[in-house]
Formats: sequence, C-alpha cells, structure tokens
Amino acid sequence: MADFQLFIDGEYCDAASGETFTTSDPATNEAIGEVAKADRSDAVRAVEAARRAFDEGPWPRMTGPERAAKLRKVVELIGSKAEKLAEMEARDGGGTIKKATFADIPGSQSAFEWFARCAEDEADEVELPGSPFPPSQNWVSYEPHGVCTGIIPWNFPFIMAAWKIAPAIAAGNTTVIKPASYTSISALMLGEVFQEADLPPGVVNIVAGPGGTVGEELAANPLVDKTAFTGSTEVGRRIMQLASGTVKPVTLELGGKSANIVLDDADLDLAAAAVLFGTFFHNGQVCESGTRALVHRSVYDEFLSLLVDRAGKMVVGNQLDFNTDLGPLVSRGQAETIERYVALGRDEVGEPVCGGGRPEGLAEGLVAENFYTPTIFAGVDNKAKIAQEEIFGPVLCVIPFDTDEEAVAIANDSIYGLGGGVQSSNFERARKVAAGMRTGTVWINDYHMISPERPFGGYKQSGIGRELGTQGYNAYRQAKHIHANPGGTRDNYMHFSALSPNI
Amino acid sequence: MRVRATSRAVAVVERAKLHRSGGLTVTIGTGCCESTAPFLYEDFWPGPDQEAVGEVAGVTVFAPEYLRRSYPGDEGVVLDVNEEFGESLSIETEFGVRLVLRGADFDSTTEPERCVVPAPASTADRPRAVVGEMPEALRRAHMR
Repeated sequence: MADFQLFIDGEYCDAASGETFTTSDPATNEAIGEVAKADRSDAVRAVEAARRAFDEGPWPRMTGPERAAKLRKVVELIGSKAEKLAEMEARDGGGTIKKATFADIPGSQSAFEWFARCAEDEADEVELPGSPFPPSQNWVSYEPHGVCTGIIPWNFPFIMAAWKIAPAIAAGNTTVIKPASYTSISALMLGEVFQEADLPPGVVNIVAGPGGTVGEELAANPLVDKTAFTGSTEVGRRIMQLASGTVKPVTLELGGKSANIVLDDADLDLAAAAVLFGTFFHNGQVCESGTRALVHRSVYDEFLSLLVDRAGKMVVGNQLDFNTDLGPLVSRGQAETIERYVALGRDEVGEPVCGGGRPEGLAEGLVAENFYTPTIFAGVDNKAKIAQEEIFGPVLCVIPFDTDEEAVAIANDSIYGLGGGVQSSNFERARKVAAGMRTGTVWINDYHMISPERPFGGYKQSGIGRELGTQGYNAYRQAKHIHANPGGTRDNYMHFSALSPNI
Repeated sequence: MRVRATSRAVAVVERAKLHRSGGLTVTIGTGCCESTAPFLYEDFWPGPDQEAVGEVAGVTVFAPEYLRRSYPGDEGVVLDVNEEFGESLSIETEFGVRLVLRGADFDSTTEPERCVVPAPASTADRPRAVVGEMPEALRRAHMR
C-alpha cells in the first residue's frame, strides 16, 4: 500500500496498477514516502466519480449557504492540522517552513473562506428587464458547469489545490485535481479533510500521476465540463488544444517575467526590500516573481549596492529552519536549469554581481547541488535571454532606465503579463506607470500581495481568465437566461406575427 | 537556432513512438515551472509563429519566433533527458523522465553522472525536525 494514496469517490485507494513513485526531500534527497502513481484508468475512474456526484448526488442541489457551511468546516479542519500540513509542504517541495506557515496554510484557509462567502452572497438568480411585446419575465440563473478538473503546479501545491477546489465546489461543481508529481503529498492529505468535513463522495477527487497520461485525460475527457491549469505557457497551450475537442472552457494561469519598476523618488530602503522579496521569495519559483528590476539611472548605483549587500545576507539552507530565507530548489533538475541560465547570463551580460553558484558551508546532510545562491545580474539589456525567458529560480536582472515611459516600454517588452511592481513615493505617478503596464496585477510599494478577494491572472501569454475574486467564482458558473412568457392568449406571442397566422 | 539531441533524448522519443499512435511533435516552449523546455506531444498543432528548427528521431522540433530570435544563426541548444519524473503534459513523463534543454557545449558522453539523481534513502525513522518558531511579526501578518 502506498504511503500517500489517491482520493477517489470519497475513499483513499492505491492506483489500479499498484504502482507508486518515491517523493523525496530536495534538501537531502531522502525519501519521504511512496505515492500512488495514477495512470489513465485512475483518472477516468476519478472523472466518472465526479460525474456521478454531479449528476446524481446532493452537492449541486444544495443551497449556496449549505455548501458554504461545508467549506467553513474545511477551513476549521485545515486549521486543526496546520502544523503538520506546513511541515509536509516544506519538506516535500523545499519551500521554507516560514512560507508554509504564514502563506501556504492560512492562504488556503482564506481561499475556502472567501468562496464560502461567494456561495452565500453571490446571487443565483438575477432579474433582467422584461419586454412589452411579447410580454415576458427574464432572469439569469447562475449554475455550476458540472465536472471541473484542475491541474496544479509544484511551487505552491497546497494553496493551488485550494484555488482550484474551493471556487469549483462553492459554486456546486464537482472536481478532480491532479497535483504535481514533485509535490503531491499536501494535496492528497486534503482528502482526509474532505472526509472529516463530510463532503459527499465524488465531490472532490485527487489523483497524482504523470502529466503525459493523467493530465492529458483530465483536460480531454468528454465527461469533463471545464478545466483549469496553473503552470507553464506551453502546457497551457496544450491544455487548450486538448480541451477544444469538446469545447471546454479553460482557465489558465501561466508564466511570467514581471518587471518591478523603481522610480527615482522611491524610498530606496523600502524599495530594495520589495525587489528582494519580489524576486527571491520561494527561490523565485513563483509565476509572478519580479525578476526584472527596472531602476532609474539616477539612483541605479546606490540601489544596486543595497540589493547586493542584502542579497548576500540571505540565509540559504535547511527549509525546516524558521531562520532560513531560501531552501533547496524543488529538484536537482530545477537547479540545473538555473545553472544553465546563469551560464547564458555570464556569456551575454558578464559576471553576476552577487551569487552565481551553489552555496558553501551548508549543514551536514544537505545536498548543495539542489540549492542555488541569490544571483543578481546588473546592467542587463532587456533583449538578453535571461531577461526574456522565465528562469523560475533566484536570478534577478537589473535594468537601468531614464524615463517613466521607457520603463513602461521595457516592462511591456515581454510575451508575458502576469505581475509587476512600481516603487515610488509619488502615488499619482506610480498609478500612472501602473496603468501603462500590460499585466494582470501591479503592486505599488509592495509585491506578491495576493488575496482571495482580488482577481489574479495574466495578460498576453500569461493566461486566460482570472482566479480569485468574484471573477474567479463566476468562472465556475454558467449563465442561463430564462425568458418566461405568461401565455394565456395568442396575442401574447410574437411567433403568430412572425409566421403564417395559420400555424 | 540549432537543435541537437543526445542519444538519451533520441531513445526517449523512439520509446514514445512505440506508445502513441498519433503523429509526434517536439515543441520548445516556455514559462513558469518548466522554464524554457522541450515538450513531446501527440497530434499537436504548432502555433502560427512556430517553425521547424530541427529533428530528433524523425520527429520535428518546433520553436516560436521569439525564442528563435534569442538564439540567432547556429546558436544551439541540446535536447537531453533528466532522470527525474518531471511535470508538464509531455509524453515522456509517463516513463518517469523529462526531456530538458542543455547548453550547446553540453556533452552527455563525458558528463553521464550529471543527470543521475542518487537513490533516496528513507527518513522514516529519523525525520529532520523543524527548527525555531515563526517570527512574531509574521504571526500578525499572515498572508490572506
């Protein structure tokens, strides 16, 4: 039996094949446990369970407040397991225990809480203007799509599971979720929460396994009504293609290469913190990371010194230590990707002014090859590969500019448009710069502040649709227009005028 | 842009050809968790800005215009294999491996160990403990 089993139709189970894969702590390469490895048949089984739960079960027929009460129970149960969940999240994915404790677990609870509020407050029916002839009452009825699948990435496995599950089930849908293979544990542990919250079987199903089979099935299966994905742009493109077979709506939150603009009137001390947090939080393994710092030339040297000084003081090491700023990357492969880009940067830009290698002096047992130091390249041309391609690691490109207009143009010179920042002491000026940025979220004098109440998503090749906010809730609802003619006499019907009077 | 493939990458694509009945395509794409990476798909529709930049095991490799611009002329990348299960919907994830890009100077015949992940040892009997506690300032600033 696997240590971490699939969750299908309200029960934990092994994969039909009995196969498992080993999930390990990237800090040490030591095994944490065996995870059931689903194949296509398990994915189909999960989709069929969700289909039954939607077509025959009570969940879509419950009222919004009734579903909200279940979601609030989920919030409470996550809270009761918070410490264990945070530790597993950090151990499995390499993110710090600090991040898991202040962001991942409470952020997930907030998502369930917010969508519980949506289920209570967002109207299921909205009256529309009628018409004098033919006389009619009109309204829009908001209804769940049906079976919604979600494919989630490895960087925020627990919170991403919440972002996919909570809006879907709050709106009355049923779901099948596939966590990333590197980081399946915390999402699979959610099954226990749903059991204890007494959700009907099949409302939430969680299957871990390869994207090439399980992910493909969840996007293409004709019993699925909607699919949502967070991850790479190229996979998003593939999911759109697979979903097109049965014309499923898709929500995609994809890559980014976001710009954090430091104007010449910024408080440089605060701005440096915003740039460092914006870039190096979770090792830069965050879609909206501000990995291009655009800095006004008049403050460039002073600001760069601040960045280099502070980046050098960041603590790289054991992710289970609350004093650690940067733990290991998610995998050896990810560290090698970063190594490749730093080599490209050395060729194109020159030696980094900070970092640029594996850390030294790590505690015994930690595998240095899986870590990378915070790295800063200065004087980068925005056309450079390291400024255009998403590295998904702790690598910052610092780019000088002379005018606000030039900063906006550089920020927008990217195939992406997911996040961004403006650091300035002049609110109106910052607001004007933010308005020019073609991106889904801009933080003024801040970074990474995401909340369930506020929509999140991308422009350009950073995605389609929005998660969170009321937009994120309504993405999981269909709008059905009802036109009701009071009937009574032939004079009330337009078709007697439009067609032959003899019909 | 010039694409080469290691013998390991060729072997993975050959294996995929035995598992899938549709036409295979490799597309080099980008973004988020994958960074820039190769993706092996069945019956894929290349986008309007994608052009063929090479071939691996008889399967055409496509890349979008903006990436081709970043790797002008003969500037190359090497398709290789990482012996870790990877993410994405790429077909080879089914085999527990992931196609990856290496720099043009990568020579898999001289660096065979680079892709090998050591077999993990179990920590079940001696898990590392959490050290310290949450900073007070962060306790009141839980991310919402």
